[in-house]
Amino acid sequence: MTGDVLALIVAACLGYLLLSNLVSLAFVLVGAIENSVRRRESGSQDYATLASSRFTIPVSVIVAAWEEEAVIERTTRSLLAFNYPEHEVIVVNDGSSDGTLERLRESFQLEPYEIFVRRVFETEDVRAVYRSPSHPNLVVVDKENGGKADSWNAGLNVARYRYVCGVDADTVFERDALLKVMRLVVQDPARIIGVTSSITTARDPGEVMAAPPGRRQVDGGPMMAFQHLDFLRAFFNNRLAWSRHGFMLCSPGGFQVWRRDVLEEVGGYSTSFTCEDIELTFRVHERFLREGRDYRIHSLPDNVGITEGPDSVRKLVSQRERWQRVIDETVWHYRRMWFNPRYRTVGLIGAPFYLLSETLSPIVELLALVSIPLSLALGVFEPAAFALMLGAVAFVNAALTACAILFDDLQSRMYRRRDLARLLLLAPLDLVLYRPIICWARLKGSWRYLRGDKAWHKFERNARAPA
Amino acid sequence: MLAVAFSAWALLSLVVLLGRARYDRQRRDPRSHELGVAEARRLIRRAGGRPRTDWRRWRRVSALTRLTQAHHPAAPRLVRRAVTDTDPSIAAAAIRVLGNLGDDWAIELLLAAMREGHTPRSRIAAQLERLAPRPGALLLPLLRDPDPAVRFWGATLLAPYPDLGQVSLLDLTRDTDPNVRAASVETLGGRGGQGVAEAALALLGDPAWFVRVHAARSAGHVLGASGAPALARLLSDTRWWVRTAAKDALRGIGPQAVAALLPVLTSADAFARNGAAEVLQDIGFVDALAFERPDSPLLERIYAAGGERLREAAELRARGRKLSEEARAA
Repeated sequence: MTGDVLALIVAACLGYLLLSNLVSLAFVLVGAIENSVRRRESGSQDYATLASSRFTIPVSVIVAAWEEEAVIERTTRSLLAFNYPEHEVIVVNDGSSDGTLERLRESFQLEPYEIFVRRVFETEDVRAVYRSPSHPNLVVVDKENGGKADSWNAGLNVARYRYVCGVDADTVFERDALLKVMRLVVQDPARIIGVTSSITTARDPGEVMAAPPGRRQVDGGPMMAFQHLDFLRAFFNNRLAWSRHGFMLCSPGGFQVWRRDVLEEVGGYSTSFTCEDIELTFRVHERFLREGRDYRIHSLPDNVGITEGPDSVRKLVSQRERWQRVIDETVWHYRRMWFNPRYRTVGLIGAPFYLLSETLSPIVELLALVSIPLSLALGVFEPAAFALMLGAVAFVNAALTACAILFDDLQSRMYRRRDLARLLLLAPLDLVLYRPIICWARLKGSWRYLRGDKAWHKFERNARAPA
Repeated sequence: MLAVAFSAWALLSLVVLLGRARYDRQRRDPRSHELGVAEARRLIRRAGGRPRTDWRRWRRVSALTRLTQAHHPAAPRLVRRAVTDTDPSIAAAAIRVLGNLGDDWAIELLLAAMREGHTPRSRIAAQLERLAPRPGALLLPLLRDPDPAVRFWGATLLAPYPDLGQVSLLDLTRDTDPNVRAASVETLGGRGGQGVAEAALALLGDPAWFVRVHAARSAGHVLGASGAPALARLLSDTRWWVRTAAKDALRGIGPQAVAALLPVLTSADAFARNGAAEVLQDIGFVDALAFERPDSPLLERIYAAGGERLREAAELRARGRKLSEEARAA
């Protein structure tokens, strides 16, 4: 009987492995085409004209900041420095108890002013609004704590322009970040309602960005390098293919551009979920497909910034269990889209892929782990076969990761050759050194989701040298 | 399985590292930017093709861009063909290339593309604005085009040419298409002249809300203080964006707008009261009163119109100013 159960578990795990690797391979092939197309399209762009033309669409950049004293000045400066003809930066201080607001006040000589705005979205009370005499395109909104979604909604109430760009306070951006994504929007603003682009991660993004492209290093130890690879896989091996076939289901909170009327139409960012970015993307797709409207949401391969990644296992688990919770919440909430042809590729590929690769994967990974002691107990464990299988899976994973590194390097030529070599060498170790941590975080996240936990569990900022 | 996976990983790793090494070497070598005969021949073949797949299409665009950057003699001919391509992405890329060429025939092609409208007109307009030689009088026929979208862009593109098309632009402020009326009043607002003030004032009451937005901006520029009463009335417009444009225009007028704003402080419309108080705050009138005459009844009227947060902000700024003046005196 136990032997039958073990055989069933092994068969299920192998089937899952085969299916997920085939799907990944298909996404990589489509992603390769999309990457090449976008690279050529970007190479033919006239960025100088776009950066100086009065016909380039203005953008409101909104950054939600909660307990971000350590990074808020650096992030705000990188946003103000965007090479873009017309943009405003709206920093929303979400009732921080640390010195976030004081840091902003001192750095930008903020003065309180009253502004009257449309309250399109209901938010927590705004305590004060500040402007900077030295930076006329900076507005700081100080409000009661209400979460990130509430802060972005408060920013949307203040925003003046037709497109809005939501960003995280812990990300440092390239000067051309906005230009890179808006190049696509200006071609077809009637259809393109959302765009995002590739971001990577580092222990101290400011330090990495200080070096010019081509000489940047992959920051920190193996922990950061594995996270870096994780980001590359997500953007290059998945989202490019999703974007090409119309089921780009995750505009990450780190950098997302939306047409504002779309956000107004769908009711803005939702405060009912643990996290808001992925849910919003699902919601917009659901609405537009249900109504049969022509629209596009794109993910681009251009690197637009570096976000701060957790530099310890404890912090990483805290971050990833939250990500898992929001995925579970969203996938379950939009279950009517699963395998539903009415929702086209979103219903037939995108949502089922999330279900398979994100929601169910912790269960399958747990089963795979359970099968090891079970086979040992039954005396059917074969170390040689196990090692061969583990090696094969590790190198399949490494080959797919190498594709992501290749696509990124072709696109950005950002990192030094020796860092690329380091990433390539670390790729086969990902399965045994990094995946178990992520597996644990996902299980924890799924468990908390089942218990109805919606707390934020923000990871504590990495220690860094004073500026 | 293991051998296949290992080989794939090793091969891909080599591709990454060798590819990057080749790129770094090419970047250091100044000769790598020159176009060889064989490469030029290949690029010409690609640029003149009719690709069917997305990937080949963009390969064609890359070839076109590369030939133009290298000033190859075949580039103009190929660009001419590409501009009229039925594929919008090819035509749009050719338009971007045209801006780099900047010859007279490039202007003609861009204007023709503007009339046809197969590619985004805002992108054509951006290229027309950066061209040298500038299109100038060649833009005037656009104002008489039967297509309102073309008239709109004609009116918009005339903004940097204050001596051209004044009469036609004034006529267009009475166009049947609201977009054309908006564009013409916006362009006229930047230049002034006879009849402009009247046209701007007339369009402040236009039935289309976005025309009122553009008219408000123009009235602020052209009329100055004399336009303030009309703009102050727009603070109670039904549309939020019109009220915002009116506030911007009144801010632009500055302290001369105060007389027109004070009566609005007691308006029955809360939006208008708020807006008037906000503009008085932004132009420094509130700060001057809060610092010099904090007990003034007028200041109380502004606070009553603007609310408690406006009062708190003004008092904080006044306190800050007092402290810094005391520090300076000490």
